[in-house]
Amino acid sequence: MSGARKRRSGGRANRVAARQASVAVETATFIERKIPCFEILNQEALELIEYNADTLLEEVGIEFREAPAALELLSAAGAEIDGERVRFPRGLCRQLVMASAPSEYSQHARNPARTTIIGGDRTVLVPAYGSPFVRDLDGGRRYATIEDFRNFVKLTYMSPGLHHSGGTVCEPVDLPVNKRHFDMVYSHMKYSDKPFMGSVTHPDRAQDSVDMANILFGEGFLDQNTVMTSLINANSPMTFDATMLGAAKVYAENNQATVISPFILAGAMSPVTVAGTLTQILAEALAGMTYTQLVRPGAPVVFGTFASAISMQSGAPTFGTPEPSLVLYGAAALARRLKVPFRSGGGLCGSKTPDAQAAYESANTLQTAALAGVNFMLHTAGWLEGGLVMGYEKFIMDTDQANMIAVLLRGVDLSENGQAMDAIREVGPGAHFLGAAHTQANFEHAFYRSTVADNNSFEQWEEDGCQDTVARANTIWKEMLASYEAPPLDQAVDEALLAYMQQRKDSMPDQSY
Amino acid sequence: MTDETEEELDLNDLDDTELVEQMHDDLYDGLRDEVVEGTEILLARGWTADKVLNVALVGGMQIVGVDFRDGILFVPEVLLAASAMKGGMGILRPLLAETGAKPIGKMVIGTVKGDIHDIGKNLVGMMMEGAGFEVVDIGINNSVEEYLAALLEHEPDILGMSALLTTTMPYMKVVVDEMVNRNIRDQYIIMVGGAPLNEEFGTAVGADVYCRDAADAADQATRLMNEKHAANV
Repeated sequence: MSGARKRRSGGRANRVAARQASVAVETATFIERKIPCFEILNQEALELIEYNADTLLEEVGIEFREAPAALELLSAAGAEIDGERVRFPRGLCRQLVMASAPSEYSQHARNPARTTIIGGDRTVLVPAYGSPFVRDLDGGRRYATIEDFRNFVKLTYMSPGLHHSGGTVCEPVDLPVNKRHFDMVYSHMKYSDKPFMGSVTHPDRAQDSVDMANILFGEGFLDQNTVMTSLINANSPMTFDATMLGAAKVYAENNQATVISPFILAGAMSPVTVAGTLTQILAEALAGMTYTQLVRPGAPVVFGTFASAISMQSGAPTFGTPEPSLVLYGAAALARRLKVPFRSGGGLCGSKTPDAQAAYESANTLQTAALAGVNFMLHTAGWLEGGLVMGYEKFIMDTDQANMIAVLLRGVDLSENGQAMDAIREVGPGAHFLGAAHTQANFEHAFYRSTVADNNSFEQWEEDGCQDTVARANTIWKEMLASYEAPPLDQAVDEALLAYMQQRKDSMPDQSY
Repeated sequence: MTDETEEELDLNDLDDTELVEQMHDDLYDGLRDEVVEGTEILLARGWTADKVLNVALVGGMQIVGVDFRDGILFVPEVLLAASAMKGGMGILRPLLAETGAKPIGKMVIGTVKGDIHDIGKNLVGMMMEGAGFEVVDIGINNSVEEYLAALLEHEPDILGMSALLTTTMPYMKVVVDEMVNRNIRDQYIIMVGGAPLNEEFGTAVGADVYCRDAADAADQATRLMNEKHAANV
């Protein structure tokens, strides 16, 4: 083809390729916050809540159910044990937590470039957790399967705004209860190289998660390094159950992180007021975190808060309303005073479909969580119907919001370029900035470009089929799954994981509990 | 002046129709002592326990149920009403047993093994009591053996099982399967409920009915008991 004309570099082909690639935000392992946390309570108010929480711990106490070993440990540390009720002398929990719980920790990923840091000025965005159902535009609402689980691990892996693979991205109810954790943990290890969460539904399943992580990261690595952050819910009000305590113990013993999360539907599981709920949340979180520090001083632990309210007319949980936002801001401040990482927030909503209710409510909770200074934001993407449903389209819509949170928290660029005085001088009164040198140099990344919003003219939107957000998101997740490529996993490690799972699965019959 | 009149209200001064209307209001307002007093007065006037139950108490709770469904009454108010109803039932139950009158129904209810979440189950129990059912609450974390023992001991019409966790809800099938094995499945109406369940799941585990919330549970139970009584006539 000697006759072909010579071409300069660039031209249409290069520009198109570059533009399509740069639609995504850069892949980061966390967001480094450059704007202050939003505070709603002054020091006096926070001290009042802390005083009341200590009163709760001292007078009412916390129940540690069916966990005699935990009671012994707590008793030895100075707590008063009455049956399963544990009462803590004023200040004891705070002292024990602040003495050894780290203010931040690295959570290693199998790909070192994806290792994240949880705590301090960082925010780590994590997909939604725990839903038995999934929903998509084509199939509607249905029970989740392991195939759905793998899909959400893949979608999360491909979403640059999500820094973490999450845990139970949906519950694969097609697998036996006592064996599904193997496939869930394996899916995170195999189909993603982002950090992930372990199983908590039985101490043995937590141990299986640790054993699999030992295979993935190599024997001995876990003892000095954290590779899992796992969710330990309090059974609010004021109760921890044996399952959660057992799983927390396994993780803490192995130097793995836990998120101690009071699970609050205010009005049912805590008082109806913000101050009363904050008091209970702090007391529950303190008791749980204290337990982890007694199991292994220095084991990473996160102060968690899942706060929603209920409809007093039906008892159903509600989301995106103002009162839980106030709780979230307050709890974040309480965690900062304890110098431990904080988990809350996410794209919470009560809506059945990714409609206007879902969007408003999710935006309210995402923005609150971002401004409050959440370090580990579980439920960032996919959440529908009070957490009963993981939505494919909702997931795509939420990841767009996740990308925006990163931009918002980055704050204001005050560099010379950021000040833009050159542009102002160049353009002057009455002209426009579109052609200015400063604009030419900055336009491509100056404004966040939504992955799902449509800002075209009416006519163009009509020509494109009058698609709404949900329809556009439907196309996006299907394209993502179709183009998914697994991150390479060492074949020997993969085989060892599969062999371990097979051996463990064969060692017990399928069970429905 | 209105307040004074209310304070001076003596239920004994009311005729039967007025008293029943007042008891409906008192149930609605959750006034347990007043409902107990009204129950005693009607009995003293020669009403049968059966008639007091159906006309004064169940009739009143039906109004509560309608307004709860329509969003006029709030959950804490319904709990108070159910508690007032329970107060009246405490007096009627032994009399109903004596006279051999057909009780509305009896339910054993409990959360399944591995699950200690019970707020929803407790709400169902209270709504069922509000609808006139006798409820035996066997608590949380129940094994199949514990369910079967409770059925044997209390001889209920209905077995209710609840779960909040996706990892515990499949245990409902373990219980139903064991009831089938022992040939006792058809002796009971089996109702299941909990956030992660749906109709399809209820059918799959072999329950008679899935209840979406506490009010629905009471409605469904009443309907199923009526069908059962009709079938037995």
